[in-house]
Amino acid sequence: MGDEVKDTIMAHIRRNVMEKTLVKGTRYDGRAFDEYRTVEIQTNVIKTAEGSAIAKIGETTVLAAIKFDVVTPFQDRPTQGVMITNAELLPMASPTFEPGPPGEKSIEAARVVDRAIRSAECIDLNSFFIEEGKVLGIYLDLYVLNHSGNYTDAATLAGTAALINTKMPRVENVKIIRGEYEGPLEMTSRPVTTSMIKVDKNYWLVDPMRDEENVAETVLTIGTTEKHVCAMQKGRGSLSKTELLDAIDIAFKRGNDLRKILKEVE
Amino acid sequence: MTEWVISLGGTKDVQLIIDGKRTDGRTLDELRAIRIEAGVIPEADGSSYIEWGNNKIVCGVYGPRECIPRHGASPYGATLKCRYMMSPFSSLEEHSRSGPSRRSNELSKVIREALENVLLLGKFPNTQIEIYIDVLQADGGTRTASLTAAAVALANAGIPMKDMVAAVAVGKASETLVVDLNKPEDNLGQSDMPIAMSHRDKNLLLVQMDGLLTKEEISKMLDMVEKSCDEIHEVQADALRRIYKTEQKEPFRW
Amino acid sequence: MEKRIILPGEKIAEGRINAANTFFDGKDTYATAIGTLDTTDRYMALESPYKPVVEDTVVGVITDVRHAGYEVDLNLPNSGFIPTRNVRITLQLGDFVLCKIKLVNEVGDVDLGEVRRLPIGKVLRYPPSKIPRLIGRKSSMIEVLKKYGNGDIMVGNNGYVWISEKNNMPIILKAIGMIKENAHRSGLTDEITNFLKHDGVGD
Repeated sequence: MGDEVKDTIMAHIRRNVMEKTLVKGTRYDGRAFDEYRTVEIQTNVIKTAEGSAIAKIGETTVLAAIKFDVVTPFQDRPTQGVMITNAELLPMASPTFEPGPPGEKSIEAARVVDRAIRSAECIDLNSFFIEEGKVLGIYLDLYVLNHSGNYTDAATLAGTAALINTKMPRVENVKIIRGEYEGPLEMTSRPVTTSMIKVDKNYWLVDPMRDEENVAETVLTIGTTEKHVCAMQKGRGSLSKTELLDAIDIAFKRGNDLRKILKEVE
Repeated sequence: MTEWVISLGGTKDVQLIIDGKRTDGRTLDELRAIRIEAGVIPEADGSSYIEWGNNKIVCGVYGPRECIPRHGASPYGATLKCRYMMSPFSSLEEHSRSGPSRRSNELSKVIREALENVLLLGKFPNTQIEIYIDVLQADGGTRTASLTAAAVALANAGIPMKDMVAAVAVGKASETLVVDLNKPEDNLGQSDMPIAMSHRDKNLLLVQMDGLLTKEEISKMLDMVEKSCDEIHEVQADALRRIYKTEQKEPFRW
Repeated sequence: MEKRIILPGEKIAEGRINAANTFFDGKDTYATAIGTLDTTDRYMALESPYKPVVEDTVVGVITDVRHAGYEVDLNLPNSGFIPTRNVRITLQLGDFVLCKIKLVNEVGDVDLGEVRRLPIGKVLRYPPSKIPRLIGRKSSMIEVLKKYGNGDIMVGNNGYVWISEKNNMPIILKAIGMIKENAHRSGLTDEITNFLKHDGVGD
């Protein structure tokens, strides 16, 4: 059951109370400011998908599933495969998620994760060409199953883990032969995102949990590959140039930690 | 693990049962393997996860809580809402469109109308209780597996119920009555009858069928349902009791 | 010895008995929520939504200030209400209050009185059916938390727990989490005392 009382009303008071703990150098769950909660990844969970993974950061749980279909390419890129990312904030995942068509939060999550993966150029969409007017479409579905804070990082982690474990389907006569596969999807890098917030003072709290997200003044997500920044998204609030550059340093450090965990499930 | 039976040809003449054994090796009254875990979604008031054969379904429950929109509230009791949804990656075939379909709409309704009978809604006027069912992997019999999981999630949430409920589909394939239809039996068989039954009173809370059956066949099938639902109830009970076991539990893996 | 776990729909008595979370079908009494049967065969629900009862102590948050009184979030589907005549101090939006339930009716209205404003702190949601365990027999558990946390803690029967900002938050929150996970076990008070003693919060 969710911990904190209704989000809206007393953010400023709750921020003050949280500051008393932060000033001593720890957070409500005892973590350091730049520390992630326990990260767990399970792969190959959905057998109807060509690739899948569940990523858990603390209790936040996101399922990523990859499916292929034969589709028509975009007009301006007729020899390239198509990648479509969709995120569902399942109503069961949080008392604050409502059923219905995707709202701005789920659309933003999908687009940020997609941006990180696409910019990383880790998948060669050109290799998805089948014949004129027909290419492989790869669908990345992100299902947030439980929201205890920071589903964005869990989503990117699940997405990348799913892609690493994806098997290319067998294509014959422009049709996918379901259940038959032709080797792994080639992933040339491991994009991840690192999200952080500012509560009041100018220090970043990495991997915000629900309590912290509710009182955050500034929200920032940075996607990284091994050597590059591949995505950035500021949510609400503002930050200085120095704060952004600091955040990038943090994102590389923590991003590389996440990449180490990904290596263990390949 | 239950075998995937991917394609068997498209005609209704195909032999689905040979020498008392079905396409997946089961006997006529044998259920597929069922695994249930309760309390898997910490944010929800109650939750459960079920693996039934190759079906994988997760269920989360909220309530009683404020009824939104207000005009949907009833002074006589809680408004029950149920949303059954299939994920676009749940079938072996194409990636389907996200969102509700006519089928998921109907299933949401019949599942809700089954559970309405056992929930003590009258105790919570002007509130709503929501049941969210998401099918992650489908292989025939998702509505009965969903109902079975929902009953566990409701009990996990502590929402008062008169009785526990289990559900199973019985049907006819190759002129033989069988329990818990798998996908080929569902697609190519002669009749499919999903039933939900309350555990103590043995009342029928979900009743649907298609195909052609005689009254005698239906009577026999209802006996088969009762026996199967008792077995399924044991799996539900075990899932709920396990939460309170005092010895070290194995960490939950999806 | 493990208590027997009772499931919804299980018979707990012949004829009719007076117990919470039960259902009488005209003949016998059945449990409606998952619960336990103690050594005297008395049934108690392990999980159930909070049922407001007159004279219960509750913790709430002021969510609206109106002419006739204050609207209060009580972790219930519908808000509670403090009629102006029931309170002498002036309250503000976002204030935490400790009060008593004065009136409950069939459509879910809850009126409050004996209102005390609580100082700055954090309010936590906690399963109402597990609140007795958080308080402990003769307040044993809550006294341990208050002793080692360095601050005050107020527990509402409605499942809201107020924790003063003076507390060592990470330790207290962890301890409360442990109590929540293990509410059904015995020997918990000693375990929690040990945990609090050894995590840098001395006597």
